[in-house]
Amino acid sequence: MANQSGSVYGLTILSPIARSAHGSESHSLAIRQCLEKLPRGADSPFAKVSSTHMARLVVMDDVVYFGRPSREEHLRSKYLIFESNFDGDLDPYLRRLAVEVPQEVHAVWRHCEGYPGVENVDAFIRYMKRCQVETTFFFADVNDKTVQQTLQALQTQSAVTAFIEKNQGKPAEELQRAFVKFIDSLQSAPPPVPGIVQGRELADE
Amino acid sequence: MAEKQGVMSNINGKQYAMNAISPMKPWKTWILRAFFFFLGHFPSAGRDLVNLSFIHFARWVIVRRNQFPRLSEHQPPDNLRYDYLLFFSNFNGTWNQYIDAFSAVLSRGLDAIWCWSEKFPGAAPVTPFKEYIAQGQFETDYYYTAYPHATTNDVKAAHRVTAALEALAQQRGKTAAEFEKAYRQFLVSVQGDLGATGEAPVGT
Repeated sequence: MANQSGSVYGLTILSPIARSAHGSESHSLAIRQCLEKLPRGADSPFAKVSSTHMARLVVMDDVVYFGRPSREEHLRSKYLIFESNFDGDLDPYLRRLAVEVPQEVHAVWRHCEGYPGVENVDAFIRYMKRCQVETTFFFADVNDKTVQQTLQALQTQSAVTAFIEKNQGKPAEELQRAFVKFIDSLQSAPPPVPGIVQGRELADE
Repeated sequence: MAEKQGVMSNINGKQYAMNAISPMKPWKTWILRAFFFFLGHFPSAGRDLVNLSFIHFARWVIVRRNQFPRLSEHQPPDNLRYDYLLFFSNFNGTWNQYIDAFSAVLSRGLDAIWCWSEKFPGAAPVTPFKEYIAQGQFETDYYYTAYPHATTNDVKAAHRVTAALEALAQQRGKTAAEFEKAYRQFLVSVQGDLGATGEAPVGT
């Protein structure tokens, strides 16, 4: 199935943006203004939906004309593109969006045609699936690790580097004691938070 | 939240989110679909893409001319002559580095994908290729990544270090001399994968 590579799902959604009544606020502009204010680091709504590796939201105003001899044509609606790369299956992911970050989802998608709101989660899932376009070819370089496994690995890599620096030239027994303590601190460390850099401090504990 | 000040929306940390679109005559999209089917079933054909190792995730999406979602009666139906090829990539580095590497290493593969698009000039030489991509590119309005400061190689190296550390941790109950020997072997095995992730240098 082209939407999946290993354990990673490649979701592509094209939501038609509602047409603005003459003289009223442009919905596409309202979406862009909303996205401009959305936090991108640890406070991002996608950090809360923690199975998200990477995601983007894009307003597509029109198709592109490359010049003659091709024919010029235009879309009659603008589209909100939602591209996400996440762990697991589609339905649980869409449910998490509706349940865990309903305000942010509503603030963006309320400008789209046919959007039913997030109160009725099943209706929201059906709506998103109507907007889904099958990914024709999906490439994921690392496709067998979850977000948490990757964050944990990055934290471990950083901590190991610091541990090695700190314990150069130590006698075997002292090195072994430090290593046991280090492994304990790694295992008891809180789970890493998406969107920030962390790890070296674990070698100092 | 502090990260929000003055950011470029295509870039988050070391990642760049690229979007591009190109029109295709509908009869040609079936050929491209067949090519992607082949790529999906013979992964070795895409080895160059893996070896480049600077793309976390990428996708090509063919949207047929009658496939743009229409969700209500008062949404005007689109009346298009062309199907469209959408391309989305999450890569490390700058736009110029990305297109240069694509053109230099993958030009045959890219030609096989984009030659079905209207007015595609070929992936090499690079100058017309860049002009074509730039013309079809549109901006990302919001971009999130769970590990903004890690490149694809960082992620792979981190998983190798973690696997090696788990193996070493099994040795921690042995005698101090045996442990020291295992520790030295561990150092040799991970020395190329050590480091810490952080801010990227500013590029163009």
